[in-house]
Amino acid sequence: MPAMNAELRAALAIARKELRIARRYPLQLVNEVLQPLYQFLIPSLLLGATFLVGGRAIGLEAVTGTADLVGYLFLGVVVGSLVSAAFWEMAFGLKREMDSGTLEPAWLTPTRPETLILGRAFSAMLIAVAASTVLVVIGMVLFGASLRDGLLLAFPALALASVSMVGVGYLVASVVLLIREPNFFVDATNWLFAMISGVAFPVLVLPALIQPLAYLLPTTYAVDLLRVYALDTRPLLDPALEWLALVVLAVATIRLGLTAFGRTERRMRIRGTLGQH
Amino acid sequence: MSATTLAGDLRAFGAAALKEWRLLRRYPSLLVGFLFWPIALPLAYVFQARGFAGDSQAALDAFAQRAGTTEVAGFLFLGWAAYMWISMVLWGPGTALRTEQVRGSLEALFMTPVSRLVILFGPVLSQVVWAVWMFSIVAATMTLVFGVELAVASALRALAVIFIAVPALYGLGALFAAVVLRFGEVSALVQGVRGLFTVFCGMSFPIAVLPEWGRAVALALPPTYLIGDLRHVLLSGAGLVELIPDLAILLSLGLLLCGLAVVAFRRTERYARRGGSLAQY
Repeated sequence: MPAMNAELRAALAIARKELRIARRYPLQLVNEVLQPLYQFLIPSLLLGATFLVGGRAIGLEAVTGTADLVGYLFLGVVVGSLVSAAFWEMAFGLKREMDSGTLEPAWLTPTRPETLILGRAFSAMLIAVAASTVLVVIGMVLFGASLRDGLLLAFPALALASVSMVGVGYLVASVVLLIREPNFFVDATNWLFAMISGVAFPVLVLPALIQPLAYLLPTTYAVDLLRVYALDTRPLLDPALEWLALVVLAVATIRLGLTAFGRTERRMRIRGTLGQH
Repeated sequence: MSATTLAGDLRAFGAAALKEWRLLRRYPSLLVGFLFWPIALPLAYVFQARGFAGDSQAALDAFAQRAGTTEVAGFLFLGWAAYMWISMVLWGPGTALRTEQVRGSLEALFMTPVSRLVILFGPVLSQVVWAVWMFSIVAATMTLVFGVELAVASALRALAVIFIAVPALYGLGALFAAVVLRFGEVSALVQGVRGLFTVFCGMSFPIAVLPEWGRAVALALPPTYLIGDLRHVLLSGAGLVELIPDLAILLSLGLLLCGLAVVAFRRTERYARRGGSLAQY
């Protein structure tokens, strides 16, 4: 137990360090909000506006049960930012440490490598939550999204999805350690993970071959429950089943991620390839 | 300029392009990216359009009325393919200079007797191969997956549109390069301009859905004409004669931007030489 407390203290210290670094680059923090707006939300909203009939999103309403195009897209971005935190900050962060030559010295400290990544997960998730909150407020105030109070009921779903994403982050981090040029891998898998989860469009429009993949991802259920409670959309499955899936996937992804990461780390220690990139 | 100097510059141009091509080949993941993104990025918007249209014919009719075509997939693939090509051309020269700056080889390059055009656009030449590759992938996907018919005559007209857009895009690219020489780190500026183009130039939507002030901004930006005209010739079967007003604006913007770029680049180079800031970053 004292060892666990020490690891937790170390993780929190790493998170504080990462947050301090983030504060040193205020423009980058502003970009956490602006980038999803100009890169995804506004182009998507304008595409949606092209399909409006009499000012109403009747097509979207027929597929999902809500005509609130703005709310639908902004809530998608909330889950998209959790995915991004796991892929870019938790996993790709290792590559940045490799490049700056600090990965090997950090792993020589008595702190476990898993803890070093967990600390990054804490700070990344915190920044993602803050940026998402600002984005949702922008969506409501400037773009007219009307979200119901039920939104609060979906917060535990987001928390469970965050736990799952930590597991996914460990899995992706294992691959980042193994391949020397992980930029494309992280970029492409982050993008596919978010898209297949239904962040940008209803999962139901995906080809039948790809749809089963969506049901294996925790973020599919998180974004679906978020929209069900905040926008009264039709759920993909019975909500009770979706909650159950979130719990099961949280446990499974954490176990899988830690196992994969532990094996990769051992392999790299034996081969002495930690400092190579 | 003597014939000997010109021949020397052309050889240097080819060598710079070859060097970049070799560097690209050393990183296979970049090659996979050039195959993946031209399909994956527009495809996401195609799925999104399906979600927005549902099974509603009225929604599809509304799209056709605003976009001027019923080819939703073709509309989106062309918009994003043009965007990706624009990105390569716009950030190419600036990124090449920045990379040389970070590697510490920029000062050495500027001490060689080659034309500045070689330093600016030589590395970008290798990207032409990727642009052709990307447009081929997009054309194949549009034709084979979405059944969009692309006639040879339309494709030739599209090439003419691209050719007319080149001065505007390379002019903007050279302006960015000048900013790199002056300020070094420009990623925030690149992100800002990229955002401006994504929001206003109509990669994923027709500019008809923008408010009036937004359309005015869009019509001042060269990519709007490139994207709109590519869609006109390839999806609506428009002839080049119909597009003369648009193409004239595109060409004029191109000449203006190239002139500005030449002045800006000369000034920043002088500034960098005097201040000795070429190697600083």
